[in-house]
Amino acid sequence: MLYLLAVALVAMHAGRYAAIIAAFLSTALLDFFFIQPRFSFTVADAQYVVTLAVMLVVALIIGNLTIILQRQTAAAVERELQSQALYQLASQLAGATSLEQVATATRSFLYETQDCLSVLLIHRDNELHPVEQGHSLNSVLQSVVALAALKQAQTLSLPDDDDYWLFLPLPGSTYIRGVLAINFGKIVPSTISDQQNLYEAIASLVAIAIERLHFVEVAQRAQIQMTDERLRSSILSALSHDIRTPLTVLYGMADTLSLTQLPQSARETVSAMREQVLYLNSMVSNLLDMAKLRAGNIRLNQEWQPLEEIIGASIKLLGTALAQHPVKVILPSDLPLLKFDAVLMERVLCNLLENAAKYAPPTSTITLSAQVDGDKVHISVRDTGPGFPPDKLDKVFDLFERGNAESSVPGVGLGLAICRSIIQAHGGEIHASNCDGACVTFTLPLGDPPVIEMGSDNE
Amino acid sequence: MSDPAVILLIEDEAQIRRFVRAALEAEGYRIVECGTLAKSMSQVNEAKPQLAILDLGLPDGDGINFIRELRTQSEMPVLVLSARSAEGEKIRALDAGADDYLTKPFSIGELLARVRALLRRNKTDGTAMETSFCFGEVEVDLARRQVTRNNQLIHFTPIEYRLLCAMLANTGKVMTYRHLLRSVWGNAHIESNHYLRIYVSHLRQKLEDDPTQPKHFLTETGIGYRFQI
Repeated sequence: MLYLLAVALVAMHAGRYAAIIAAFLSTALLDFFFIQPRFSFTVADAQYVVTLAVMLVVALIIGNLTIILQRQTAAAVERELQSQALYQLASQLAGATSLEQVATATRSFLYETQDCLSVLLIHRDNELHPVEQGHSLNSVLQSVVALAALKQAQTLSLPDDDDYWLFLPLPGSTYIRGVLAINFGKIVPSTISDQQNLYEAIASLVAIAIERLHFVEVAQRAQIQMTDERLRSSILSALSHDIRTPLTVLYGMADTLSLTQLPQSARETVSAMREQVLYLNSMVSNLLDMAKLRAGNIRLNQEWQPLEEIIGASIKLLGTALAQHPVKVILPSDLPLLKFDAVLMERVLCNLLENAAKYAPPTSTITLSAQVDGDKVHISVRDTGPGFPPDKLDKVFDLFERGNAESSVPGVGLGLAICRSIIQAHGGEIHASNCDGACVTFTLPLGDPPVIEMGSDNE
Repeated sequence: MSDPAVILLIEDEAQIRRFVRAALEAEGYRIVECGTLAKSMSQVNEAKPQLAILDLGLPDGDGINFIRELRTQSEMPVLVLSARSAEGEKIRALDAGADDYLTKPFSIGELLARVRALLRRNKTDGTAMETSFCFGEVEVDLARRQVTRNNQLIHFTPIEYRLLCAMLANTGKVMTYRHLLRSVWGNAHIESNHYLRIYVSHLRQKLEDDPTQPKHFLTETGIGYRFQI
């Protein structure tokens, strides 16, 4: 029995082969010292042969079991160390507030615990970018394999020169956010594939950290944008209120005056005052509109409606400005409903008609026509004036650009720029041309008008 | 005129109050002024005005809430003053019970015309509604359900006729899409503005000389329609 204890001890301390030798040796010693005849390896009684054989087998089994147990203990200890290390990494990553911190934490973790170098690559604009300055891949081949790991969303390995690389994709909830490249140096690849689970666990921890940072950023950006937008719109509405109030007062006072008995010259002055106030008002409206349109995020209130409705409203709104110019409207009788923001489209038509009226000779006709062409409709406003300067045809829609800078016709070059912003927001285009006068044509997509059911309305 | 009509003017800007008051007094109305919403409700009870002119941009509260509160106790017409490009605000005011709006800056002529129209309609309210209308070459006889243009009988579908009646009943007053949709179609099509637009264009084609430049069935862009004789 003592021999068996010795075998177990040897197995614990000296390993498998020593244990086997110890098993044989102890059997031999037992035979030599205790089995009759003593001090000889010969066995007199056949019964002892069986005893010795059993002893040998038991010794071998005990030795082997001890070894297996020991290995399992070692593996458990190592696993515990690994999970402790992973836990440490996870808590470091959880505290990270930037991608750089994630990269640094991962890199030092891998260096300290696995003795290998690593590079964190982030996916942006269809390319992989190293997160940390000075820690990047050093060959084209590595970059190609890293990108392949990203595209295929699976771990790829690459023996490159003397180094052995592993590229682990970092999966986010919607797409792969990047790749973790680990350089093992000259380690035998088989030990790496043994530990691949560990590396994948590390990769998923890093991926979670990156995903978290991404959503934090998205939330922050939305917050900033919202505050920004609220601030801008409150400034604009305050400005618009503060400018309109004195304009309203001025206009009302001039109007009150014009209703009293006044000498001819004073009457003319009052009427000029009213006109100038209205002009100033339309300029302020244009500037405020432009500020809103320029700020981006125009919220279109698009609805399906007949074009003629907005044409009639625009002509009516312009009123006296169009007094000297009859407007001829030519619309196809089967023009479908169009989807647009009525208020903004009214702005476009008013600006175009007002422009035409400013430059066209008095009493000449302004033509407004529409034509369906494929999947869009062309709408043009044409006058018989001098037209645009030919060298400025594509510039007239720029901000503060005027056809003729020294023109006696008032204006600051905002109207057409606003038209372009509005039309572009609707997914259309706008062009200027000359044909017996100025002609501005814009397009609107036809889209898919709603079906109007009149079934119940036929009497 | 027997007793002059009393008009409540709620506006925070003293200069605007000044010229509006001058213009209305010149027409023989009596004016009660208020600079804040807080005071206006008590004025409604004390001065018993026949009409309110309300600036929506008052610093001490939401004018729309004031309209709602007013509507719980009075049917007096409300004319709203508002800035251009504030269509949403105008619609909310109209749906809350305002009767008409003026966009700043406005002319005295426009203001007086709206005030007259609102007071006149308020007077005819309660009595029997007019049964015949004439505009352009069109004659509408509501009693006989007949519409003629140049003495030619015009045919209408049931919905077209209902829409025509709804618009005639509110002559001179702006009607929001929601209001018209509800009174013609009921609550089922409350979001189907395009139905309304199609039917208004039918009315224009049947009754206007030039449907693209209507004189009677007017568009209030972004808000609704107004019928005027």
